[in-house]
Parts: sequence; structure tokens; C-alpha cells
Amino acid sequence: MIINGVTIDETFAEAFPMKGTRLIITALNAKWAMISAQTFTGFATSVIACGCEAGIEKVLDPSETPDGRPGVSILIFAMGGKSLAKQVETRSGQCVLTSPTSALFSGLESETEIALGQNLRFFGDGFQISKMIDGKRYWRIPVMDGEFLTQEKTGVQASVGGGNFLVLAESQAQALAACEAAVVEMKKCPNVIMPFPGGVVRSGSKVGSKFKALNASTNDAFCPTLKGQTKSDLSPEVESVMEIVIDGLTKEDIDVAMRVGIQAVCDLGAANGIRRISAGNYGGKLGPFHFHLQEIMA
Amino acid sequence: MSALTFTLTTSAKQRIDCSPLTTDLLADKSLADIAAIELVIGNSSERVDSLFELSGDDATDIKFVNSTDKLDFIGRNMTSGKISIEGNVGGYLGLFLEGAEIEVTGDTGIYTACEMKSGQIKINGNAGDFVGGARPGYKNGMTGGTVIVTGNTGDRTGDHMRRGTILIEGNAGDYCAGRMISGTIAVLGDVGAHLGYGMKRGTVLLTQTPSTGLGANFNDCGSHTLAFLPLLFNSFKKLDSKFASVDSFSRVQRYAGDVGGIGMGEILVKI
Repeated sequence: MIINGVTIDETFAEAFPMKGTRLIITALNAKWAMISAQTFTGFATSVIACGCEAGIEKVLDPSETPDGRPGVSILIFAMGGKSLAKQVETRSGQCVLTSPTSALFSGLESETEIALGQNLRFFGDGFQISKMIDGKRYWRIPVMDGEFLTQEKTGVQASVGGGNFLVLAESQAQALAACEAAVVEMKKCPNVIMPFPGGVVRSGSKVGSKFKALNASTNDAFCPTLKGQTKSDLSPEVESVMEIVIDGLTKEDIDVAMRVGIQAVCDLGAANGIRRISAGNYGGKLGPFHFHLQEIMA
Repeated sequence: MSALTFTLTTSAKQRIDCSPLTTDLLADKSLADIAAIELVIGNSSERVDSLFELSGDDATDIKFVNSTDKLDFIGRNMTSGKISIEGNVGGYLGLFLEGAEIEVTGDTGIYTACEMKSGQIKINGNAGDFVGGARPGYKNGMTGGTVIVTGNTGDRTGDHMRRGTILIEGNAGDYCAGRMISGTIAVLGDVGAHLGYGMKRGTVLLTQTPSTGLGANFNDCGSHTLAFLPLLFNSFKKLDSKFASVDSFSRVQRYAGDVGGIGMGEILVKI
């Protein structure tokens, strides 16, 4: 398959099951809602070392938030419910509770729930106040700037992590420009995040390593400087490869985001140095969700 | 199907215990069976059809017509469906109500919504003393649900209230929120003396400072913008009440008390 001069490889991206939730952070103004959301989702690029993958899903208008203030919705994914709960609790406590004027709400309803403010309330040292509103429990925790309002629990749902595609370009600048264009379009898609810096990862990994301590190592088949040293997957014209990783609440959400992102890259086309679109395919070792590039773009 | 209607045909001299006439207890019963139910009146009992004229067949939607303040225990323990009442009712309306709905066009007697667990009671009129309270000798009043009173409430509204919401569009009497354990009471009108006497936790939300002032058992915590109030007002929007159209506010003067006890209750007055 070739779109606008860009070859779409006959391969698939491999993704794995995760548990995910959505949180809504609000604040006095959009600036502080974003600061709190960025702090929460910092150091959350990969479960390999961060404990979770998190990112900003959407900036919310005051009319879209529970308390009518400017807000940001974020998505957090982890390998299991317990690890997700731990990450949500520690990050909420250190990054949202501490953030001036913030409030924290669940953005996902589900029968399966994890603690949100349920344990943070103890920071109130006995002065915390519970409020049941519309069947949901909230905690009002006195803090030095007023009150921190948080919902007691948030829903959790089975999700998908690690959807991806690779952009193979003639130069580093062209690969980056194409990925930037893709991320701009993909950020308009609901229920997904691109957790790596700016949505782009330049150090895509393969499963395993020659070093026993590591579970993952550099994807040497796609490293342009190793073309002559390893079993490379790159043609001579390709000088740079970048990857966009997508986590989503459902497989279908990732399908949509991948299609939008790949299309944005292809719109730049061969004229802008884009040669191929490929994917992180680990021969079935990584996970049960397979995103076939040509099917997605058909 | 039409609402199962009980039209009171006698001028009751004794109090009538209407607790057998709920959606749960009348489900799958024929009109003949219902007519034969014995209701306790004073120290005796009488058949339903000797007191009420029966019509309709939908036991999930019950109506009382020509009701008087002699009819007690309407909706006791009810868990589903709706009871509508035209006229006044007696005491203990909605005792232990759990998930069902009651609407009254008239006034209610004492202990309305006593120990109610969930659901909604709307009174298009005035309510007596001890709205949402606990039975004498018991320590927990209503534990959930919403009570809307378009008129005034008597004394000791929310006495021992444990959870839930009482919305009063008119005035509340003396000792409102007395011994309150938790929950929310909101009043659009005035409130009588001794507000929050013995209050442990919970919230009383007022649009104006009570004309009798606040007692010395509440300490002023200053003026604040509280983030939960917009959520609370938002939850009122679905209600058939003046509270649905009240302009949301989050700026309040906060008073904490009763400091004679644990002092974790709060009175919030709009500023």
C-alpha cells in the first residue's frame, strides 16, 4: 500500500492490555489546571520504569467540568488495577492536592472503582468533610489556600496500551515534522493519549536485551546508524525513525487515532521526505492486540 | 392502567395506620384483597373499604384523595413506586422509605421522612416537627434521600439526621439541625432559634443570616469560596423545586459548631 508516495508496511503494531482511568483536574483558571495536570502526568511515559503511562487528553471548558471551572482531563494507564490505584493515589497526593486552587474528579464511571480521594482525606487530620452529592461521595480537605475538593473514587476499565506506528524519513527534521503534524491531529481524538515527550518517542524498543537486567532495549533493526551492523529494516535513504505510541480506553479508540495520525504523516508525503510507515511488531511476544496498518488505512 | 386510588370517605375520629397501603405490600393483590385489609384505627381495626373508596389497578402508583391529618405511616418501608397524596397527612410519612417517591399536596404531621433511607419526599405545603429525624429513643435520623418542603418546617428539623438532604423553600423552626450527625439542610427562608444545637457534623446552607442570629456555640471561620457548592447546586437542578432555579453561589460565611460538642458541623451563609 502506498499513500502519497509513502509506503505502508504490511505489518501490525502490537499492543497489550492495561487498566485505565480518566481524571478531571480543575482550578481557578486554565493555567493552573494545566500546571497540575502536567505535574500529574510528568514522568509517566512508559510502564517500563514510570509505573504508569499518563497524558493529557483534553482541555475542558468550564461548562464541561463538574465544578464549572476550567479543567483538564487526563488518562492514566497501568498494567493492573492495584498498580493503577497506587499511581493514582501518589500522583494525586503529590501533584494535585499540592497544586493551588485545584480540585480532582473522576472522569470515568465503571462498576470497578479505585480510590481517588478516599485516602487523601486523611491529610485533613480529622477536619476533612464528606459530602454525598448525587450518589457520589466527595471529600473536602482543608488546605492552606482554602479547601481541596476531591471525589472519593474513580472508575477503572480494561484498556489497551502500546498502539504505535513508526515514521521512517530521509532526515531527522523531516521525521520530527511529520510526527508533530500527526500528534496535532491525534490529540483531537477522544479516549487516547500519546504518553511520550510531545507525543513522540525516538528510542523505540524491542522486547528483551542481551543484558539480563533489562526487559527492553533499543530497536536496533530501526536504528539508522546500525544499518551495516545489524539485521536492519531500513533502506539506504532512511536516516531517521520516530515512533508515536498510543494508549487508549479501547482498541477502537486507538484504531481511530492511528488512522488520523498516519494520514497526517502521509499528507506530507514523499515530497517532504517521508518514505515509509511501519510499526512495532514483536512477533506476538508483546501483546494480544494487533493493529494492522494496511487494514487501518484501507 | 390507572393509579390505585384510595379516596377517604369518612371523617376519621381516630388515627389510621396506613402502613399496609404501600406499593410493595399491595403488589399482585386484587381490589377485593385490598378492600379486605384491616387497618388499625385507634385501639381497633377496620377494613380498607369501610374507610376508602377504591379505584384503579396500578399498585406501583398509589393515590390518596381527601386525605386528612389522621392518616399516619403512609409509605412506611416502601422501596419502589410512588404515592401521591391530595390533602394533609398525619405523622411518620415515609418512615423508613427506601428508594420510593412520595408527593403530598398539603401539610404533613410530625416525623415526616423519619429514618428515611433513600428516595424522595416532596411536600407542597408545610411539614411538622422532626422532619428527617429519628424515632424517640433512636440515635440515627434519615440516612439518605431527599426531602423537599415548599412551605415551612416545624421545630427540630433534621434532628439526629445522619445523611441525605432536606431542602426547605420556606422557613425552618427552632432547633433546626439539632443533634445533626451529618447530611445537608438548605433553607431559603428564615430559621428559628438554637440553630445547630448539639450539631456534630453536617452542613446547614442558608441564603440569609437567621433573624434570631447564631448561637455562641458556633464560631466564625470567615468568608470562603467553597468548591463543593456549585456541585451541590447542580445536583438540585433536576428537582421540581425552587432550589433548581436558585442562582448557584460558592461564596459563604462559614460558622463551625456546635463547639460545645465535637464542633465539626458547619453553617454556611450566603454572602
